[in-house]
Amino acid sequence: MRKKILSLILSTAMAVSVLTACGSSSTGTVEENAPSDNSDESSEAPKEIEKIKVFVPTGGKADDIEEVMAAVNEITIPEIGVEVEFKAYEFGQWFQQYSLFLSGTEDVDILANYGGYLNAVSQGAAYDMTDLIQEYGQDIIAREGDYLKSGEIDGHQYAIPIYAGYSWTMGMIYRKDIVDELGLTEAAEKATKLEDWEPILAAVKKAYPDMTPYVLNNGTTASNFKYGTWDDLGNFYGVLMDPIKDKEVKDVFETDEYAHLCEVMHDWYQKGYCDKDIQTQTDSFTVLTKNDAAFCTLGQADFNTAFYQSTTCNKPMGVTLFDDQIARTYNNVCYTIMSNTEHPEAAMKFMNLWMSNEKVGTLISYGIEGKHYVLDENGMGKYPDGVDATSTTYHLGSNLSNINRILWETENPEYPELLVEHNTNDKKSIALGFSFDTTNVTNEITQLDNVCSKYQAGLETGTLDPEQYLPEFVQALKDAGLEKVIAEKQAQLDAFLAE
Amino acid sequence: MSKTNAFVKIKKYFPFYLMALPGIIYFFINSYIPMGGLILAFEKYTVKGGIFRSPKVGLSNFKFLFSSADAWLMTRNTIAYNLVFIVLGTVVAIVVAYLLHELKGNLPRKIYQTIILFPSLLSIIIVSYLVNAVLAGDTGFINNYILIPLGIDPISFYSEPKFWPFILIFVHLWQMTGTSCILYLANMSAIDSGLYEAASLDGASRWHAFINITIPCLVPTIITLTILAVGKIFNSDFGLFYQVPMNSGALIDVTQTIDTYVYRGLMNTANLGMSAAACFYQSVVGFILVMITNHLVKKLSKENAMF
Repeated sequence: MRKKILSLILSTAMAVSVLTACGSSSTGTVEENAPSDNSDESSEAPKEIEKIKVFVPTGGKADDIEEVMAAVNEITIPEIGVEVEFKAYEFGQWFQQYSLFLSGTEDVDILANYGGYLNAVSQGAAYDMTDLIQEYGQDIIAREGDYLKSGEIDGHQYAIPIYAGYSWTMGMIYRKDIVDELGLTEAAEKATKLEDWEPILAAVKKAYPDMTPYVLNNGTTASNFKYGTWDDLGNFYGVLMDPIKDKEVKDVFETDEYAHLCEVMHDWYQKGYCDKDIQTQTDSFTVLTKNDAAFCTLGQADFNTAFYQSTTCNKPMGVTLFDDQIARTYNNVCYTIMSNTEHPEAAMKFMNLWMSNEKVGTLISYGIEGKHYVLDENGMGKYPDGVDATSTTYHLGSNLSNINRILWETENPEYPELLVEHNTNDKKSIALGFSFDTTNVTNEITQLDNVCSKYQAGLETGTLDPEQYLPEFVQALKDAGLEKVIAEKQAQLDAFLAE
Repeated sequence: MSKTNAFVKIKKYFPFYLMALPGIIYFFINSYIPMGGLILAFEKYTVKGGIFRSPKVGLSNFKFLFSSADAWLMTRNTIAYNLVFIVLGTVVAIVVAYLLHELKGNLPRKIYQTIILFPSLLSIIIVSYLVNAVLAGDTGFINNYILIPLGIDPISFYSEPKFWPFILIFVHLWQMTGTSCILYLANMSAIDSGLYEAASLDGASRWHAFINITIPCLVPTIITLTILAVGKIFNSDFGLFYQVPMNSGALIDVTQTIDTYVYRGLMNTANLGMSAAACFYQSVVGFILVMITNHLVKKLSKENAMF
C-alpha cells in the first residue's frame, strides 16, 4: 500500500493534467457562474434542494453509508433544503488521494483535512467562509468560540475545526497494572520528568524480560517528542518554549531542554530499555501494548488519555502529565469548503447542522439506531448483539464529529463536560489560533524536512549519541536555512499578536 | 510513386499496426497527454487557476533541487547505484539466462526459472520485511543464528551505512534478475543451433562458443536495454531506497536518491509545482542521456543503434 505513496507524488501531476486537460473547459464555467448563480438561487428559490458532497477519511466501516445518508437527508432536506452525499475513504487510501482532492479536480464540496489545512489554503482550495459562517454558522460559533480561530488565517476563516481536546501536554502513557504489581504506582504518578522514569523502566525490564520497556508512540511516522510541552506553531522549525508568556520564536533543537531529552533517551537506549531497532519501529504503541510487548511511550496527553488508551489498548493504562495542560492551535480534523464549489451556502448550512444537531451527529458517527448500534441501560451506544467492530456495516466513529452525539460505551461518561471545562478553563498559549504560512520559505522547509529525516529519529530515540550528533544536526539545520524560517515565523507571529 | 509505396507498405503490415495499436493508445494516454502537465513545473499551482492558468513562477520550483547541501549526495547516489545496476544487472542476467539455457530437462528449467522469477512478483513492502527478518537487530536471522552463536557482537544493520550499498545491490539483483533474464533467454533460444554445431565440429569449447557466438548474438538486445536504462539513470526505484532501509535516518548518506529526497521534502507540503519540477528535471536529463548514448553507439557500430 505504502509503495504507492511515491506514485502519488509523481503521478499526481500526471493524473491532474489528464483530468484537467479533459475537463478544463467545464472548470472554467464553474468559476465564472458559481457565485452569481448561487446568490440568485438562494434569494429567488429558497425551496430548491441543493446537493452537496462530503469526503472524509475513516478508520471505521462505511458499507451502509448510502442508507445512513438517506436518514440524514430526511432531516436536512426539510430543515435546510440540502441533500448530502458522503464518501468515506480508509485512512491509507485517504492520505494517498488527499493531494488529488486538494487539486480541485474531484467533485467535492466539503473536504475533511486531517492534521492541518494549510496546504488547502496555499493551493487556493479552501473557500473563504468568513462571511458565510456569520450568516449560516451561528451554532458552530456558539459551540466552538475562540477555538474556531484554529481555522483562521489573517482574520479569514478557511476551515472549521471540530471541537476536540485543544488543551494537552506531553505525558508518559504506561501499563498501570504493571506498576501496581511492582509497587511503583506512586513513583509512576510522581515521575513528571523524563529522567524520573529510569528506575521504573529498569524494574520493568528486570521483571518482564520479554517486554520492551519503552517504545515509540506511533512508529517512526511521528517523531518521539512531537507532542512537547512547547508550542510548535505548526511545525518544528521555531517554537515557543513557554507558550503562556514567551513571545520569542526559538530553535527547539538548540535548547537545553531538547538536548536533555536526547541525552535521557540515549541513556535508555544504551541500557537496553528500547528495542535496538527502535529507529525503524513500524508498529504503534497500541498494537504492541495489546500484545504485551510494550510498557510505556511518550505522547500527547490530557484528562482523557488514560481512559481512551485503556479502551483502545484493552489494558488498564495510566498517564503522567509532564506539565500543565495548555490549550493551543491543534489541527486534528477540520473541514474546508472547496473554493470551486457551486453550493457554498448549502455546505455551510449543512456543517452548522452537523456540528450542532445531536441526531445528525449521532447518525453520521454511529449509523441508524437498532441496525448499526443500540443504546445500553446508561443511554450509551454499543454494537447490536452479534455484531462487533469488524463485522458492523457502518461505524465511522466519533472522531470526525463534534460532541453533539450519543456517547459510545467505551467512552468516558463525563467526557463532554470535562472537554468543555478544560477547553474553557485551562491556560491558553498566546499563539492559540496562529497558523504559519510557509509560502515564502518552501525551499527551506523542503531541505529542513530532509535534514530532520536524517537526524531527528536517531537523536530522539537515543540511537545517536547527542554529544556528537546534536551539534551536527543543529548545524545542518542552520545550513538548510532554519534561521530564515524562524525569522519568517517570528514576523508572522508578531503580526498575529499585534492584532 | 512514394505515396502508393507507403500505402502498399501499410497494407502489407496492417496486422502489425493493428497489434501495435493498444500499445500506441496506451502510450498516447499515459505518456503524451500528461506532458501538458509539465507546465506545472513553472507554476505555483492554485485550484482556481488549474493547470494552465495558475501564476507562472519561472524556474523557482527547480531551486530546491540544487540549493540543498544534499544535491551532490543524492545525484551521486542515484547515478552510481544505477550504473552498478546496469552493469552488474546485465552481467548477472546473461549468466543466469545462459545457465538456464544450458539446462537439458524442460522441467528443471521451468522450476529454476519460476524460483528466480518469483522475487520480482513480490511487493517491495514484503521484500523490505523479508530483508528486515534477516537483518533486524534483536530478532534478525544473521544476528541470532550466525553472529551470536559464533561469539561475534551483533551488528545493528539499520544504523550502519557501510553495509547498505551491498545490501541494496544484492536486493535489487535478487529481485530483478528474473525478469531481465527472460529477454536474454528468449534471445538465446532464437540463436541458430547450426552455429553451435559448426563451432563444436571445429573443436570450440563451451566457453569459446559462449564468447564468440552467444554474446555477439545478444549484443543488439544488450545495447537496446542499456540505452533504455540510461534514460532512467536519474530515476530510482523508490521502494528499494525508501522502504527496504525502513526509512532509517542513519542510512541516509547511502540511501538518499533524487526520488527519496523529493518525497521526504514534499510529503508534508504536497507542492505540485515542485514535484513536477523534479520529474521534469529527471526526464530532461534522461532524454539527453538517451540521445548521447544512442549517438555514441551509432558512431561505434551503426546497425546496433536504436534510431
